[in-house]
Amino acid sequence: MPMDSKEIGQLLEKYWNCETSLEEEQVLRSYFNGSNVPDQMKDAAELFRFFESERKRTLSAAFDHDIMHSVKKTESKTKVISMVRWVQVARIAAGVLVMVAAGYFVRNEIMKSDEQSQALTDTFSDPKDALEETKKALMLISKSFGKAKEGAGKINMFNEAEQKIKEKDKNPDQDKTSI
Amino acid sequence: MFESRVLPVKNKLFRFAFRLLGSSEEAKDVVQEVFIRVWNGRDQMASIDNMEAWCMRITRNLSLDKIRARQRKATDPIDASFDIQNDSRTPYEATENSENMQRINDLIASLPEKQRQVMHLRDIEGYSYNEICEILELDMNQVKVNLFRARNAVREKFVKINAYGL
Repeated sequence: MPMDSKEIGQLLEKYWNCETSLEEEQVLRSYFNGSNVPDQMKDAAELFRFFESERKRTLSAAFDHDIMHSVKKTESKTKVISMVRWVQVARIAAGVLVMVAAGYFVRNEIMKSDEQSQALTDTFSDPKDALEETKKALMLISKSFGKAKEGAGKINMFNEAEQKIKEKDKNPDQDKTSI
Repeated sequence: MFESRVLPVKNKLFRFAFRLLGSSEEAKDVVQEVFIRVWNGRDQMASIDNMEAWCMRITRNLSLDKIRARQRKATDPIDASFDIQNDSRTPYEATENSENMQRINDLIASLPEKQRQVMHLRDIEGYSYNEICEILELDMNQVKVNLFRARNAVREKFVKINAYGL
């Protein structure tokens, strides 16, 4: 839609006051890029032409190729980094594995020795029963001691008898006299 | 996905970086860096609503980083003589663009950073105010104020130059 210079002037005022929409700014841009711009708007026209020419500043076509190349290069770098990281993780994992294995074996050993000492562990749940049983056991020991004492008494008799004989052997005269 | 959604915006990214840095080589480096970041994060690309605005934002951040690095370097006596403005004009521009185009370019380059960014996004790239808010992480009011100041500063200075040859 072609606009006359008056309307453009009004739009330009709005533009300086930052009241124009993007569409209105586009109207101004295309107007000032055309010919037949009134002299009093030449400054504004230059500005809009500058904006337009700046829009055309582009990267070279080789950039896409370069960028994909450098992007892929950094990717391989990050792969190396992740490998290094993986090795570190593996190291820690190996350490943990050794600890766990050691723990497992130590535990096994403890279990075994526990089994051996199973006889010493509780066999009664009621303390009274345990007491009775202990008493019985102690009585048994006591009886055995009693028997042993009797036997020991007999041995003592022999000892005394032996002593007397020895003494007689040493002093036969004495005996004689005493007899 | 990468080639269909991201590569087509390369020229917008390049122009924006160029506007901020004034050097096409540095601008190219920035665009390349943006693409590498996008490529590495392409698994999360689907969760980004406005891919283009996101890329523009990264472009801006990387360009500003470069400017800051340059300012640090500039304090270095060896690099102090290095003039960045030298490579901002390609042979093509020097011959094809009129004197006025160069003047406008210099005027915009002399604007404060935010004004320059807003003006570029609106007047050259034709982004909506909402998109500009998203790219620059500014609120609507700041965007409009900066655009108003930019347009009027360029207008006044350009009129002065043309009228008095200042």
